[in-house]
Amino acid sequence: MKGITNVIAVELKLIMRDPMSAFFALAFPAIMLWVKMRSGKPLPGGLPAIDATVPMLSVFVIGLAALVVLPATLAQYRERRVLKRLRATPASAATLFGAQWAAHMLLAALGTALLIVIGLAAYGLTAPANTAGVILAWTLSALSLSAIGLLVGALVPSGRGATVIGLGLFFPMVFISGVVIPRETLSGSMRAIGDLTPMAPAVEAVRDGWAGTAMSPVALVVMFAIFIAAGGVAVRAFRW
Amino acid sequence: MKVIEIDGLSKSYKNRKAVDGISLTVAKGEIFGIAGPNGAGKTTIVECASGLRRRDGGTLRVLGLDPWNDRRALLQRIGVQLQEAALPDAIKVGEALRMYASFYDRPADWRKLMDEWGLADKERAGFAGLSGGWKQRLFIALALVGDPEVVFLDELTTGLDPSARRMTWGLIRDMRDRGISVVLVTHFMDEAEALCDRIAIVGEGRVIAEGSPRELTAAGKSASLEDAYFALTGGGTE
Ligand SMILES: Nc1ncnc2c1ncn2[C@@H]1O[C@H](COP(=O)(O)OP(=O)(O)OP(=O)(O)O)[C@@H](O)[C@H]1O
Ligand SMILES: [Mg+2]
Repeated sequence: MKGITNVIAVELKLIMRDPMSAFFALAFPAIMLWVKMRSGKPLPGGLPAIDATVPMLSVFVIGLAALVVLPATLAQYRERRVLKRLRATPASAATLFGAQWAAHMLLAALGTALLIVIGLAAYGLTAPANTAGVILAWTLSALSLSAIGLLVGALVPSGRGATVIGLGLFFPMVFISGVVIPRETLSGSMRAIGDLTPMAPAVEAVRDGWAGTAMSPVALVVMFAIFIAAGGVAVRAFRW
Repeated sequence: MKVIEIDGLSKSYKNRKAVDGISLTVAKGEIFGIAGPNGAGKTTIVECASGLRRRDGGTLRVLGLDPWNDRRALLQRIGVQLQEAALPDAIKVGEALRMYASFYDRPADWRKLMDEWGLADKERAGFAGLSGGWKQRLFIALALVGDPEVVFLDELTTGLDPSARRMTWGLIRDMRDRGISVVLVTHFMDEAEALCDRIAIVGEGRVIAEGSPRELTAAGKSASLEDAYFALTGGGTE
């Protein structure tokens, strides 16, 4: 385990050197914020749009890093036999998974920080009412969604295949789970379907923490359960 | 002392036999060559012995360990240069060496290795931009970064220019002089002749002949090791 910080640092640099990943995690969410705020009317109930949009888009960033970039990285490593070479070293699958997870979540943290900075500087974002709650909710979101991403990356043989599956999971989910369109303005049936996706508890918890409303223990437990279940299957199913 | 003992090794892919009852031993501090036609099973032997593939039958001991069951312990003590492997495109030479060094309990000095293999000028060069020969040198350095007792080199001089090849020969002899045992898979008979203490010629998953280059040449009443190789494998007619 001693080398893991070094591996994380290298992996993060590799992600940042790839223009696609950097665009996905940093530029794309910032553009989404700008687009959303051009027509940003307060939500039903009077919450300023920015105070809902930044927490929502922070889950968007986590989703991109965890479901799109992470599985593509792992699957591409498999396809190009980067994993094969690593397998001939004492590095364990746990080190590899841990380093990939940490590097991609650092990427998501950068993307989130960028959204917050833009929100504060340009749109009068209100600081979170419950900072510890936001950090907890963000971390659990990152754990649960990346566990799903690791599972895709553990199984899919090619980088292209993993990208297709990742985008196929990501896009429908962000539209129905309240990540792009606030839950309050979704139709009842859409919301009912969206609530079944693993992004729903993530958005709910981050927004509750930001607004200072009581966080649902169910949402937190569901995210933790997804992390354990999907993560456990990913580690077992992993092929070098 | 034997560092590698292979007895009756067999391995099939699907129902195709790649290795069919191979027995070999490699002594400490020896450079042991494996040669033979494409598809003979050379890479499969190396991958079984370095814990990357599970054997179907036979016994296999490397440094007294079972490569599959004791792979964690074994991988701390061996180095491998694989025929088919890559690094991430964007990784830099220095980053790769440093990262690989971090995987081992007692690594070699990666900066010194980088100098020895002439890679110091390329420390900040990305993997994807390296020519084939430079990639190969990096792979050799990575095989040595764990300060191994046994090194497996699968076609290491393929793709090197003649001067790099000669330089590599010198460095392989240095390895042996430091007591490292080397298993060298090669298609070049001049290389086998110049470097190897003993050679096994394999064909269709079996050992066809084994001995020192001189013994193999003499046994075939051939003019050179290459002629002996052709006589043994039935190739070489134009
Ligand atoms: N992963 C695999 N799946 C199925 N068959 C394989 C696989 N790897 C090798 N083989 C087959 O096993 C046999 C031995 O292959 P191997 O790679 O060990 O030969 P080799 O002696 O290293 O050949 P070369 O000189 O071309 O590198 C070949 O017939 C090859 O097609
Ligand atoms: Mg081979």
